Amino acid sequence: MTSWVLGEFVEEEPLLEAARTLRAKGVTGLDLHSPYPLHGAEEALGLRRSTVPLVALVAGVGGAVSGYLLQWWTVGIDWPLNVGNRPPHSPPAFIPVTFELGILFASLAIFLGLLFAYFEFPRVHHPVFEVEAFRSASIDGLWISAAVGRTEADGVAAELRRLGARSVSIVPGEGAP
Amino acid sequence: MSTTVPKTIPGDPLESAPVLVGRPDDRALTESLLTPVLEPMRKGWAALLAVLLAGMGFWLLCLYEVLFKGIGTWGNNIPVAWAYDITNFVWWIGIGHAGTLISAILLLFQQRWRTSINRFAEAMTLFAVAMAGLYPIIHLGRPWLFWWLIPYPSTLQLWPNFKSALPWDVFAISTYATVSFLFWYLGLIPDLATLRDAARDRTRRIVYGIMSFGWRGSARHWQHWRIGYLLLAGLSTPLVVSVHTIVSFDFAISQLPGWHTTIFPPYFVAGAIFSGFAMVMTLMIPARKAFRFEHVVTARHLDNMAKVMLATGMMVAYGYAMEWFIAWYSGNPNEWFAFWNRATGPFRLIYAVQIFCNVVAPQLLWLPAARANIAVLFLLSILVNVGMWAERFVIVAVSLTRDFVPSSWADYAPTWVDWGLLFGSMATFGVLFMLFLRFIPAIPISEVKELRKELEHEDHHAAAKAAAAEGA
Repeated sequence: MTSWVLGEFVEEEPLLEAARTLRAKGVTGLDLHSPYPLHGAEEALGLRRSTVPLVALVAGVGGAVSGYLLQWWTVGIDWPLNVGNRPPHSPPAFIPVTFELGILFASLAIFLGLLFAYFEFPRVHHPVFEVEAFRSASIDGLWISAAVGRTEADGVAAELRRLGARSVSIVPGEGAP
Repeated sequence: MSTTVPKTIPGDPLESAPVLVGRPDDRALTESLLTPVLEPMRKGWAALLAVLLAGMGFWLLCLYEVLFKGIGTWGNNIPVAWAYDITNFVWWIGIGHAGTLISAILLLFQQRWRTSINRFAEAMTLFAVAMAGLYPIIHLGRPWLFWWLIPYPSTLQLWPNFKSALPWDVFAISTYATVSFLFWYLGLIPDLATLRDAARDRTRRIVYGIMSFGWRGSARHWQHWRIGYLLLAGLSTPLVVSVHTIVSFDFAISQLPGWHTTIFPPYFVAGAIFSGFAMVMTLMIPARKAFRFEHVVTARHLDNMAKVMLATGMMVAYGYAMEWFIAWYSGNPNEWFAFWNRATGPFRLIYAVQIFCNVVAPQLLWLPAARANIAVLFLLSILVNVGMWAERFVIVAVSLTRDFVPSSWADYAPTWVDWGLLFGSMATFGVLFMLFLRFIPAIPISEVKELRKELEHEDHHAAAKAAAAEGA
């Protein structure tokens, strides 16, 4: 069984410091919550580089290639269409659609990938939302959350208080952050 | 919350207006930016919406005419097979371009003044593209078969002709509409979560909770979000340039005098940005007043937008000049006649409007005092929109009235359905925009908070520097 320990901070620096300290003590399942992206959060949580650019590249190249193949096969091979005496396979005329499909596929991959794979959305019920005060996380509050075993929860909560959290709460829940 | 407004002389290059007035804290910013969504409905808003809805009703009536009686209800003829519909299409799609330019290109160039106007401009893009996309579809004659444009294996055994500019248009416009929406929505998710958390009633909490997918401001999400947002900006940048380029190919790859010009792609893109910035200005000036956004959309924003308008207006003017030059220099009598006909033929008045609104009037923007005068900016923005519509009409319809053979010449006059579809689309655009202003945060809250953070950081540095200098 997992417990979620939530702590609210007022300033950015103590929040990042708390994340570093807890991580050094071996607490896993840490996350920070803020109304805007925090500088230094990735380093404090030890996050690896985002793989989103790779996803976009693969999808973009895939989209462009399939766009070109689509045009080449349909009007060049399957039903050669002579308009204005252009050759059936006319690379210059195929540039616009190839380009547009490359952009389209890359953008869809970024958006859908972020939402459904990286963020695992939709997830409108999450243990952190059980704390009413957590509403401030999208307004002006800076929060830290730790998904820990039920037995460790009290220790982490005490540690957060020591590190300067304004308020600390423990919520029973499941899953990883 | 500090409310001191730094003293500025309008247009003084050494001391320009700030991008954010004061340094309101996060809660104050959230409250002021969410006021239009959370406050009770205003009478003025409802009244304006009612007027626009009436206009939208008329637009629907005109659409009914077109769908049930056909495009014979338009003034189009042969040779003027493209007239108001395609003019409106090119005009609307051009207006859309400013949104992507502001949100994507200015983001990549790290122009801070984009931050508070990008959401607004992107929404304008979406609605303008929605309006634009309808025209080519209803122009098909049998619009209910529009999906024949999509390449799918059908019993017809035919494919779209990918060597024609018109299927390119289908791909360009649909990609543009989709990517603009994704970019807009990705930026919106954190703000929808803010709205969910700031709302006090259950309905809004549920609706905005669903719309924000359960965003919890997680640092693990922000990391990917930032990269994804930046990448979408990077992808939108060549996209926006390609879209109006492809629209211009509809004309440029034909052989009609007045259309067959290699300058069309850059000149269309410049014109698109020109008209788009004018439209952002037309919408933003009343909105910032009505919703008290003056602290985030400052004189600096208006000044910069005016400068972009001036620059793109000059590019458009260069395009006009170069068209005339090539018409003369090519020695092609048909080409020369097409331009002579624009300036002196039956549509000379529209050509005069085009030149006055797009070339002469914007020269006022060289004056810093004009860029600081809201009334002048508002008037100019409307003139530019009118002028750009005139330009599209002159290119599309006037060129068609006089082609190679005098026996096939014809004149053109619009019908009430043509006018109704033009003004009705403006009303429908207005309806969508009014709903946007009321139900969605029009200023990106999380981005403004980040901007404030950066500015505070700089204030701090500047103060430390000043203190050090004093000590020395």
